[in-house]
This record gives sequence, C-alpha cells and structure tokens, in this order.
Amino acid sequence: MKDSDILILEEPHLSLGDQFYLPQVLKGLGTTMKHMLKVLGGTDRVIQYPEERREDMPVEDGGMLLQTYRGVHRLNKDEEGRPKCVACFMCSTACPARCIHIEAAESPWDDREKYPQKFDIDELRCIYCGMCEEACPCDAIELTHEYDIVGLTRQEMIFDKAKLLKIYDETVKDEPM
Amino acid sequence: MPPEPLTATFYHLPPPKSFRTVCTLRTLVKSGTIPAIIPNLMPKITVDGKLVEAKDRQMILQACLDGNINLPYYCYHPGLSIVASCRICLVEVEGIPKLVPSCQTPVRDGMVVHTRGTKVIANQKQVMEYLLVNHPLDCPVCDQAGECFLQDYSYQFGRSQSRFEEDKAKKPKKDVGKNIVLYNDRCIMCTRCVRFTREVSGQCELYVDGRGHREEIDVFPGRPLDNQLSGNVADLCPVGALLDKDFLFKQRVWLLKQVPSISPVDAGGENIFLEQNEGVVWRVKPRYNPDVNTWWISDDTRYSYKVIQSKSRLTQAMRTQYGAQVETSYGKAIDDAVVGLKAATTESGAGSLYALLSPMMACEEAYLLAKAIRAIDPNALLVSGPAPTTGEDQVFKHYMTHKETFRIKAEKVPNAAGIRRVLGLLGGPTATWDEFTTATRDDIKNLKAGWIVGNYLSSWLPANLPAPLKKGFRVLQDILPSDFAGKADILLPSSCWAETDGTWENHAGKIQPYAAAVPVPEGVLRAGDVYYTMLNRPGLYNAQAIRQEMGKMFTSVQLPSDKEAAPAFDFVEL
Repeated sequence: MKDSDILILEEPHLSLGDQFYLPQVLKGLGTTMKHMLKVLGGTDRVIQYPEERREDMPVEDGGMLLQTYRGVHRLNKDEEGRPKCVACFMCSTACPARCIHIEAAESPWDDREKYPQKFDIDELRCIYCGMCEEACPCDAIELTHEYDIVGLTRQEMIFDKAKLLKIYDETVKDEPM
Repeated sequence: MPPEPLTATFYHLPPPKSFRTVCTLRTLVKSGTIPAIIPNLMPKITVDGKLVEAKDRQMILQACLDGNINLPYYCYHPGLSIVASCRICLVEVEGIPKLVPSCQTPVRDGMVVHTRGTKVIANQKQVMEYLLVNHPLDCPVCDQAGECFLQDYSYQFGRSQSRFEEDKAKKPKKDVGKNIVLYNDRCIMCTRCVRFTREVSGQCELYVDGRGHREEIDVFPGRPLDNQLSGNVADLCPVGALLDKDFLFKQRVWLLKQVPSISPVDAGGENIFLEQNEGVVWRVKPRYNPDVNTWWISDDTRYSYKVIQSKSRLTQAMRTQYGAQVETSYGKAIDDAVVGLKAATTESGAGSLYALLSPMMACEEAYLLAKAIRAIDPNALLVSGPAPTTGEDQVFKHYMTHKETFRIKAEKVPNAAGIRRVLGLLGGPTATWDEFTTATRDDIKNLKAGWIVGNYLSSWLPANLPAPLKKGFRVLQDILPSDFAGKADILLPSSCWAETDGTWENHAGKIQPYAAAVPVPEGVLRAGDVYYTMLNRPGLYNAQAIRQEMGKMFTSVQLPSDKEAAPAFDFVEL
C-alpha cells in the first residue's frame, strides 16, 4: 500500500457550544419532541408490535405485502409426507452466505436415490436472498412469510431438518406449495 | 545434437523395402554411423485454419488436443485401444467426402481439418440428442454431475428440450463389484470400462450384453469386478454410469479442491490428487504421470485417504510419570523428550541415542529429525524403519498381448528409498531395521534412548517388540494407537502425509513432491514443526527451504504447476 492510498480524516472541530455539551443535548431532545408532536398531531404513527403488525395494514398506510416477503425457510413434503429434497446441494452451492449444510445418504425409498440425512440452515447467517429457492430443481426448499423467529441461543437458530419440515406443516395452509 | 527419430520421415520417402531396412537405418543413425541428414518432418495439419504440429502416426483427435484445439469425445482414451464408437468426434477432412472419426484417423502432412463446419456441428447435435434419448434426467442426484462429459457437451451442443415423447427405457442399477456400482440407464455405451478391464487390468470382468437398444454393460454371473484396479473404471466413465461406492452421495464434485499428492501405500509412488472440501479429504483421484502410473491408480491408493480422518488418530500428547502415561501439552512433551534424550547422552556418552526413521516420513522430515538427534548426540545411530513387503509385485497384463500394463509394488511403504538416500546424505552410524531388531551389533546393544517415528497406515510393530525398543527412554511419534504407543515414555501424535509438504522417493529413484491438503487434527503438531522446535529454527516447517539445504538431488524437486497437475481428463471449454 502506498502512502497516497491512505486517507487521513480530521476530527470535526468542536465549536464553543459543542464543548459545553448541554446545548447539543437539548438539540437532540428537540428532535425527539418534534417526532412526538408529529405522532400526537396525527402525521406520524407508532405501530404497537406485536399487537399491531404491518402486514395487517394497507400498504399505503405503511403496511407491507406479505406475499413478496422472504422469511424463514421450509422444507416441502411430497404427497406421502416425505421430504421432497433429493440432497443435490444446489441450494448450498447457490447460497452466498454459505448457511446451508447438507449431509446426503442413500434414500430408504425405492423411487429415489438420495435424500438428506441432515439438512441444517443457519438462520442467523442467512441473508434471506431466496437464491436457494431459485436453485432448487424439485421445489423442496421455499422461503415462507414468517419473519418473527426467535431463539435464545445461536445453536437454537440453526434449524435442522425436523424443524424445517415442521415449518412446512405450520405454513402449508396459508401458503400452499 | 542427438539424432532425430527416423520414423517420422518415411511419409516423405519411398516406403522402406522391409522392416529390416527400417531397423538398420534406425540403428545406423543411433550409433552415429550415418548422420541423420534427413530433416525430421513432423506432419503438420491445418485445423480450422490453425497450423498444428502432430507426431508421427498420431490421430487427429490427439494432435488437436495436444495443440489446444478441443474436440468432444467419449469413447476415446489415450490409455486404451480405439473403437470410434461414440461418433461425437467426427470431423471434416478436405478431400474425404464423409465425416471421419478424428480419434481413429491418423494425421497426414498437409491435411486440412474442419471442426466447426456445419456438417460437424450437425453431427454433434444429432449424437447428443441420440445419447440423451434414454438418459434419465437425474443430474441432481448423480455423483458425476459437475465432471460429466454428457452434461458439458449437452450444454454446448445439445438442445434444451427433448423431442422424444415416449417413455424412457429404464435399465436396472447393478452392483458390479466391491467398490463399483453401475447405473445402467445412465450409460452411453462408450465401452471404455470394458476395454479397461481387458487391456489394462486384464481380468475381463465387464462385457457388453445384448445389442442395439438392449445393449448393457454387465459382469458375468459369479465374477464381480473385484481387482486392485477396479476403482479406475469409475474415473474412466465419462458419464455417471460407473460410480465409486465409497464416494457415492458424499459430496458434489464442484465443491472439491484438488491437491497434488503421492500414494502412501506402496513404493510405486503413484501420482494422485487428494480432493478435499472444508478440511476433509473425500476421495483420491489419479494424476497423470507418464513415467510412473500413467492414468491409473490401485484401489489401495484410492482408499488410503481414510486413515487421515480415522476416528482412532492419536491427538493427545502423553508422557510417562511414575510408570503411567499422563496427558501433557505438546510443547511440554517436546521439552521433556529433549531433556530425556540429553540425560541419556550425558549419562552414557556419545552413541547412546538412535532415531528410527520411518519410510512413511518425508525425506525432509527424516533429514530434520536426524539433524535434531545428531545435535544432541553427534554419534546417534540412524535406523531405517521397517518396510513391510507382500513378497511379489502384483502385475497386470493386457488380456491378449500379455504385455505388462500396471505394476503394484510389493514394498508397502512409499519412501524406503528416500530414507536410504537421506541416511547416505548424512553419513555417520546407520543401521537397517533387520540389524536393529536382531541387535547383535555392539553399538545397537548399547543404545539407551531413541526417537521412534511410526506414521504407518496400519499397525507396524510386531507383538513381540524388538529388543532395543523394549528398554531405555523412548519417544514415539505416530498417528495410530498401538500397544507400543501406550508404553512409550513420550508420545507425540504426528501428522500424516496429507497434512504436510514433503517428498518421497519411489522404488525407481524418482523423487516426487506432495503438498499438504488438509490441516492437522486438533492437538497435533506437524512433524516438521516438532523438529524445527527441537533445532530452534525460526518460523514454520518449509519443505522447499529444507530441500534447498539437502543438496543436489532435492533442490530441483518442485510441486507441479497448476497446468502440469491438470487432471488426466479435464473438460475444456470448446
């Protein structure tokens, strides 16, 4: 690296008012007051999540379209309740965040060769871009519209095959495959 | 200047009267009786307007491939006979009305070849469509996907949709042998595998059953594909019909990274690629080397990688305290080992130490260990480790000509020759394993402490330990647990060949380098780094630097460049 590549930033010069701090604190409080007054005046609004949700509101009032929202993944099942996934690794290859980990094995069923023995998605690493869904040759992985997923540990947020299949059961009524 | 081979010139001379004339001419030129006055005219051909220099009697396809012009091919393989059955390599040659199979047509000087003509491309499209008529669309579950010729060529000249409306023929999946499974419906009948079992492994297990659309590869009842070269048919197969059971469904090939390496199972020094993903070696593939293993490797080599990930690998440094082994840190273990060896030397004088240099070690590691031991005791005895042998080389022959095609060496260690070379390089007192075990020599009887290196892929010491190993202060560096590992005064878990750089010398005296493919397991220090610590050398083990130090035979040894290390069969964008 050359010296010319280094960009030296100067700290902003503090005026006398800045050095006293209190005027700046009051200025900041002013911004808060402005927003409070806007809410009271009806031009701004606060959404009382989770009692109120954006998907329940009209889009023009600040709501959102759930149909296009990319939330947590699910693993789809076929008619016989087996995972549709054939463990081709297309999703994990396409994944830019490298958050899908698959272990393949010979399938116990006659009509297919391969199935995922393990299928883990690290929902914290995931950037919800939907590339896995696009890469999937058998529509086995889909992003649902669920966004309120929580966990107390990082380990809890690594969703395994059972959990992803359960999400399918829970969401299939609202979002048929 | 050495005389040029004469054979190349005969296209421009009147044909020799007899075979004897050729032989006489050649002998005379070789002996220098007559000068090679006739210039060596290599046949030159024009391919798509580009001048390509071919070798004498070479086929158009091979000349093109050598000249970096890529033609599609399935059934052609430089290591097998030519059948010209797949018909995708057909090209146009000026002066010949019909398309000719480039794999089977020898070059002629001045030949003009067109590989991108309308007729040629139409043929490629037709062949592709025909091959795909019954080919199942199971690329997502097929292990060959990613290195499949059919996939690549289909992408290039296939059509995206099939015009075939009827149901595809479903052929059964067959278990053809211990290591290989056959998916008959994916097969394109190039017969490379059949030719391989006849012409290289010579056992003729595979054959073509039926004709026309009923054609199938099969094995004879009761004679499964079971020989030391069986794994090669999976490499040979241009599609996903023959697959390795060991690798089946494990990984997708595009995730694997290839690292050039050498086979650890015998003295032949087969060139291989270790294919790893995220620090795990998933399979071994042959690396083309015309001087050593050509295109093939033995099955022992192919499955030798398993020891790298073996669950039983030693990973904890141990030291003996009051007669029992206790866990210790690696650094402490090395310090204790040096202290123990120094104590033995000061007590009994020079010549009381020995180092057992295993033929599984790299030459560089052996050199460093010998240096480190000799730094403590300048008269330390260097012993070359046991080199187990199966007695006789396993030789494979062509099924008809009985010409030798492949040889698996009887000596089941990769670097016995290299260790001998290092011992010769260093001089001083040395002993062979036999001399060491019989312990009749006085200097062997007087040994007090030693550094023993194992690193064998399976158990290596006899149940009844040789006398010098039973007594004194013993430091053991090994990768797998054994009785002896439980008794050693200091136990240092070691790195195996896939985890360090180094060189091995094969039985023919060829010094071949290999590269580290994966990191060492947790709790293990690379052997080279252990010796660096003992010698107080700065930095980390650097095989290239050690080779420079070791002198003339080793300085020129270098890992193959990416281009040289290209796989024997790599798909190149046309």
